[in-house]
Amino acid sequence: MTSSLDNYLIVGAILFVLGAVGFLTRRNLILMMLSAELMLHGVSLNLVAFSHEYGNNQGQVFTIFVLTVAACEAALALALILALYQQRKTLDIRLWHDLGEEEPPPPPAAGEAPPAHKLPVFPRLTPAGRVPELSPQETATHV
Amino acid sequence: MQPLLDLLTDHWRILLAAIVLMIAVGLLLPGETRKSRLRVAALAAAAVACAWSVMFEYNATWLDASLFYLFAGAAVGASVLMISSRNPVYAALWFALATLAVCGLFVLRTAPFLAAATVIVYAGAIIVTFLFVVMLASQSGTALYDQRASQPFSAVATGTVLLFAFLLVLTGEGSAAVSAHVQATGVPGEVPIAVSGASNTATSEAPRTLGTAKPGTLLGLGSSLFGEYLLFVELAGTLLLTAAVGAIAIAPRRKRGAP
Repeated sequence: MTSSLDNYLIVGAILFVLGAVGFLTRRNLILMMLSAELMLHGVSLNLVAFSHEYGNNQGQVFTIFVLTVAACEAALALALILALYQQRKTLDIRLWHDLGEEEPPPPPAAGEAPPAHKLPVFPRLTPAGRVPELSPQETATHV
Repeated sequence: MQPLLDLLTDHWRILLAAIVLMIAVGLLLPGETRKSRLRVAALAAAAVACAWSVMFEYNATWLDASLFYLFAGAAVGASVLMISSRNPVYAALWFALATLAVCGLFVLRTAPFLAAATVIVYAGAIIVTFLFVVMLASQSGTALYDQRASQPFSAVATGTVLLFAFLLVLTGEGSAAVSAHVQATGVPGEVPIAVSGASNTATSEAPRTLGTAKPGTLLGLGSSLFGEYLLFVELAGTLLLTAAVGAIAIAPRRKRGAP
């Protein structure tokens, strides 16, 4: 039932799961990034094992692209972490829960009319000077 | 409900291995109380025994098998210690060890160039990360947010379900399907590279002359990268350039004249 391919796939799966658990549980921004890289390791191991099993290079080529994307991700993540750290002087992810938008107001209950939108009261200017000359088109739209 | 129960009882060893491994990980995670390291180590040993009995039947030479066990154990153990260590500096070092172990597995799967590339890329990334950790995090001892894991129970439950699903597929019908496909398509473990290149891309002429190149060597990998996948190499280069520009734009800079 088991071949040597399965062993490598199982190790890759375990690495992926451990990376996922680390990403979910750690609160340090840098460690979350490292956990994501660990998940990428698991995926790369899968690709290389399949490449060996099928005897071609496609899996390894794809792993090289995974490496490229991982390098880009590391560069961007470190820049973002540094920018975030300079604002609050901590790496705690919990302090950044307010990055999103504010909660919208709860929707009105069924059957209840939505609250009327109150228009602000604009000041009215007293007419002064003379009435400007309007073209017939403008007169049609304004009157 | 009944099929699910049947599934669980049929594969109770896989379920047990997943649960024990994840409970060991959950106990190792940093929490409010200090656990007895001995008990956790015993639990981890039980997890390893479970995993061993369920999953690994390695039919190879003893050298190959022992190297595989060495690297696989190092990778998994270093990963567990990485996600559970309270000091981020140690976590970065454990991650470096896990990377090295994965590179050892790459070498066992005939990918020496890929192993070297991974070491080079991740050595640079790890050294930079390490410097960041030293600069940012360890100025005043271990921070509070490294002492507490956030929601360990739900994370461990998620990990258990995920691991059980993976192992179920990998040791059950999914694995049999892959083996059947390999036998049906007649692709053995070692074939010349020209077979794959010529079978699906009739117009590519690059691998023809390099037909004897074994997969994983620099010759085969390079001819594949710069023959079939040349466009994607260019795209990857563009992606790297974009990421570098973006990183420079995002990174905060000192005001001019500030120390």
